[in-house]
Amino acid sequence: METETLLLNMGPVHPSTHGVLRFKLRMDGEIIRDCQIVVGYLHRGTEKLGEMKTYLQFIPYTDRLDYIAAMPNNYAYVRAVEELAGIEVPQRAEYIRVLVMELNRIINHLVMMGSLLLDLGGSTMIMYGFRERENALQLYEMLCGARMTFNYVKPGGVREDLPEGFMPKLDEFIKDMEKRIVDYEELVNGNEIFLMRTKNIGVIGAEEAINYGMTGPTLRGSGVDYDIRKVESYSIYSDLDFKACMRREGDSYARYLVRVDEMRESLHILRQIVDTIPEGKTVNQRYGMAPNTGAPSSVMSYFPRIFTPAEGEVYSRIEAPKGELGFFVASDGTTKPYRVKIRSPSFCNLVALPKMVVGLKIPDLIAAFGTIDIVLGDVDR
Amino acid sequence: MNSAEELKYLLPNSVISVGVQTNKPLAVIRKEDLLTVAGKVKEMGFDSLSVITGVDRLDRIEVIYNLFSYKKKQNLALKVILDHKSPEVDSVTSIWKVADWLERETYDLVGVKFNGHPNLKRILLPEGWIGHPLMKDYDMSIEQFVTIGEDGEDIVSTDGSNLLRRR
Repeated sequence: METETLLLNMGPVHPSTHGVLRFKLRMDGEIIRDCQIVVGYLHRGTEKLGEMKTYLQFIPYTDRLDYIAAMPNNYAYVRAVEELAGIEVPQRAEYIRVLVMELNRIINHLVMMGSLLLDLGGSTMIMYGFRERENALQLYEMLCGARMTFNYVKPGGVREDLPEGFMPKLDEFIKDMEKRIVDYEELVNGNEIFLMRTKNIGVIGAEEAINYGMTGPTLRGSGVDYDIRKVESYSIYSDLDFKACMRREGDSYARYLVRVDEMRESLHILRQIVDTIPEGKTVNQRYGMAPNTGAPSSVMSYFPRIFTPAEGEVYSRIEAPKGELGFFVASDGTTKPYRVKIRSPSFCNLVALPKMVVGLKIPDLIAAFGTIDIVLGDVDR
Repeated sequence: MNSAEELKYLLPNSVISVGVQTNKPLAVIRKEDLLTVAGKVKEMGFDSLSVITGVDRLDRIEVIYNLFSYKKKQNLALKVILDHKSPEVDSVTSIWKVADWLERETYDLVGVKFNGHPNLKRILLPEGWIGHPLMKDYDMSIEQFVTIGEDGEDIVSTDGSNLLRRR
């Protein structure tokens, strides 16, 4: 029988694309023969904005990249600026930064689990995931007044010290989450339907995954034992005990399991921080003068609004929840960056998707796509 | 000896100078030899291309490739310097697959043409957009309106005639 292929548009508005993303699928019956991805519907010109704002003014814009997990964006940009200008950060501030970033990793993975299961037809997990996420968001609200877009990390430290009553509440959250993760595993991991939908779907090998520029949990699901927190050991990660979670299978199920394991490791890191966080200043004292008083303050951080690093270029990267998040910042010795380039994990992880799904059916595309875990604000910048 | 110096030792004619990008070794290479150098650094173990950055320096365009080696856990940055009027360089898509999208993005926003790229089209901005926004001489006074056409393709106009509400 003679058949001809059919061009099928999926998106830009489609519940399973998590935003405005469009697939152009060439279908042979139910089989995907070719997949093209169209991005850019949410492009806001963040890199151009970076050239027009001063170094400090640009920090809130980084919140809007990956809005599920904004704290690592803040930190990645600030770290690039700190490396460029050679700014030292006090130990307590580093502990607080890692604390807020690991909390955000848990939030990110909860949302990822919830939306993946929702796409696959199970609506329970997203309720549970968002319930726990709410507790974490309340912690952020205590800390800086914002729930999703923080503008909290500043060059030389963080904006404010931990408020009173934060640590007991965090402690409660950790104890709660430790039990909840067991619940999730019982709910999802052995589910027959879930296993059928994700096992051996969207398989990609280690070497290919590296060549396609995959990073983060997506890469670790393919058996590459690699974590920037381990390799570059930035901030205080070298003092902490944690392991890079890794699975060998390279399919959607492995990528999902890596995230569950990572939540456990993040909780383990949070536990260590609660136990060992040192007392001290939360901002570099060279910059930490409260305005007008001239007295060093440990509560409010003050950083000069006009700030000029020396001429130079830097590329600095961190392990964000979705993968390698890098900021390239070039300075020409003025108050504004000459060029800001964002290497976003979602953008680069998407490159491999067509390779993963050719030969599969559309429901499998959703399962593979869900475990890559992208946010369109991060893809389109 | 860091990785940039090692590269200079292996390919003395292709590497113009060796320096640092804050804390990562940097090699400035001849643009004609980019593909040869890229093949060589892949052999040296740099299996991952992190990012391609295009920078408009007013008199020249710089394209910077940040590489990482999973085997040796080392960093390396390569830089090519291109002509400002017609920036052109060979594509490295054949060596690192991720370069496909990264080069399209650099073409879209900075206007660098990558020879040998299989599908060099705009990626973040719609086809038909006027100018490359990250060039320093980009004219921001031009208003551009984008809508989606019948077949899902983008339509760009400067007077808003493609917008429904203007009719």
